[in-house]
Amino acid sequence: MVRYEALVLAVPEITADEVKSIESQLGKAVVEKKGTLLSFERWGKYRLAYPINKNDYGVYFLARFESTEPTAITEEVKNLFAVKLHGVVMRHMVTKLELDQSLAYQRPQSLEEAPSREDSFFKDTKSDSHMSDDSDDSDDQD
Amino acid sequence: MTKKIKLKINARLLKKRFRKQGFGGAKHCRFCGSPEQNSFVDYKNSVFLRNFLTERGKILPSRISGNCSKHQRALSRNIRKSRTMALMPYTASFF
Repeated sequence: MVRYEALVLAVPEITADEVKSIESQLGKAVVEKKGTLLSFERWGKYRLAYPINKNDYGVYFLARFESTEPTAITEEVKNLFAVKLHGVVMRHMVTKLELDQSLAYQRPQSLEEAPSREDSFFKDTKSDSHMSDDSDDSDDQD
Repeated sequence: MTKKIKLKINARLLKKRFRKQGFGGAKHCRFCGSPEQNSFVDYKNSVFLRNFLTERGKILPSRISGNCSKHQRALSRNIRKSRTMALMPYTASFF
């Protein structure tokens, strides 16, 4: 038995129906390869560290699954995200988990939990800088 | 025989002596022997990993952070993973 986790970065304008279809398709793919889907969580909306496909924001999902067919299931899941869900999923990453590893984890706060723009890299590292407040708008392309 | 006296001043030896005399204290890897700190090293935990970046978004060298090479490798591996998922920056732009 091998346990995996998949972190998925979806486009910001994803709808609730598309989220459901991702979850059902992932569940189907995992069951097909004799595995079980342990969890599927929505992290929320985040400001990305750099724009991907001209999107400044993204929605993260974390899924955990395990199976007795290690290579087949990862191939299946990767194909699902890269081909079938290509329009919705911007990035995906499948990593192996140790079986004795705890499933607890820490994640950064999403924009929905903390609406202020404090997730910016500069704001928490250079809070005492002498730059003016509107300086963080310079990376916006007009 | 008289005791051999080292006359040459070597920069490396000087540094070593400074370190021994406790100039700033010996650097110690914060992850060694601490499973609690080790559990923070995860590519999803980008808030913690940001402590190990420079202002411009580069990975902080172990020379400065004081990590041992084993944990520095684990740390940089997780930072690189985090970067591909856009949780952490490759570079921080000028502003």
